[in-house]
Amino acid sequence: MTGTRKLQPLIYFEEIVHLGNLALRFMLYVWSLEAGEWVPTLVILRLNRAALCVQWSPKENKFAVGSGAKTVCICYYEQENNWWVSKLIRKRHESSVTSVAWHPNNILLATTSTDGKCRVFSTFIKGVDTKDSKAASPAETKFGEQILQLDLSYSWAFGVKWSPTGNTLAYVGHSSMIYFVDDVGPSPLAQSVAFRDLPLRDVLFISEKMVIGVGYDSNPMVFASDDTGIWSFIRYIGEKKAASSNSSYSSQFSEAFGKFYGSQSKSATANDASESRGGVHDNCINSIVSLSKAGSPKVMRFSTSGLDGKIAIWDLENMEQELGNQV
Amino acid sequence: MAEFVEADNAEAIIARIETKSRKIESLLKQYKHVEALKTALEGSPPKTRDERCKSANWIVVHRAIMAIKDIDGMLNALDAEYYDILMKYLYRGLSTGDRPTCDQCLKIHEKLTERAGLGCILRCLTDTLNTV
Repeated sequence: MTGTRKLQPLIYFEEIVHLGNLALRFMLYVWSLEAGEWVPTLVILRLNRAALCVQWSPKENKFAVGSGAKTVCICYYEQENNWWVSKLIRKRHESSVTSVAWHPNNILLATTSTDGKCRVFSTFIKGVDTKDSKAASPAETKFGEQILQLDLSYSWAFGVKWSPTGNTLAYVGHSSMIYFVDDVGPSPLAQSVAFRDLPLRDVLFISEKMVIGVGYDSNPMVFASDDTGIWSFIRYIGEKKAASSNSSYSSQFSEAFGKFYGSQSKSATANDASESRGGVHDNCINSIVSLSKAGSPKVMRFSTSGLDGKIAIWDLENMEQELGNQV
Repeated sequence: MAEFVEADNAEAIIARIETKSRKIESLLKQYKHVEALKTALEGSPPKTRDERCKSANWIVVHRAIMAIKDIDGMLNALDAEYYDILMKYLYRGLSTGDRPTCDQCLKIHEKLTERAGLGCILRCLTDTLNTV
């Protein structure tokens, strides 16, 4: 499985290759563009399990890798030796780290794990990060120190992201829940939002108050926070109305429900020969990535990729027309 | 995050369930099926590991579920916050294998899924901490 991220303006491009069974043979490369050619540099991560997620920090001087070894590697570049060094956060995680996200301050890192918890750590590295005069607490300048642990989910947690200012965190649980935490810090405000349909896998903040979630329903969902700060599900992108009970099942579901309810079912299973839920993706959407300039407060374009092998680019400029252009 | 009630408090919970059971019987006699179900679902003791408490509450909920004749009406009157816990009890009912119980639970399951969506089922399946 490969994960790729492309960043402007440093034009680093990164690829992780991990083979589940051959745990010895996995590598991480940092690619740089030199004289028009992409050149890979191998990074030794010192992991004995697969790497599951990777993110560049906002200043692009560090990157974080979450792994199945219950650790997070933070890598930075050492100029003198011309190579990437990795430091491990070994503590705390009780299971695989499924997703990592950097706070805009380049120091705090949020992680989600299959132990159901979302944690925030400090990744302060002497020589790479400078002590900010407005850093909140001494804990923030100690590498690997856990700042916060959120216990909101009973099941696996995925897809954590920070809002553009770093004030709010959002992550999803496998129980068809999405969690929002405002004012992340000593007294955070957590909200758990349950929704109707299949679980999400990843989220993206398109503004301080609006989040798009993607997952097993193959159709992005929009959540927004109202004036009182309460988050709730707004709508699907690309679907005009909330599905009525009968049309919401694809043909596979209809058959399964038909068997389940047997002679008791009535017209509920009689229709929907080939209607699928999402217009663009046919299968679970695994990730959502912003295409707007990094650090901008509003995201107007993003791309999604899924298990159907498609990558779609979405443009919110014409939200009313609910466009999704396939790549 | 969840505090589990130890065995010695189980007696208190079971006593509460007895009281609830009497209340439910009287509600059923008055044909107030929805109230009966709500009372049964309220105060379900999911945060206890004691099997007796869970079984005691299940008996009460089962009684209320079997008394329901008008499923659509019941779901109309039931608030959304009860959907998740009702779904958990439906699955418990389905696991008994007892024909009348399963018939009833299956009927309600179909309607409840239409209303609450697959997310409700997901929440029941993934929640291994708060079981009924």
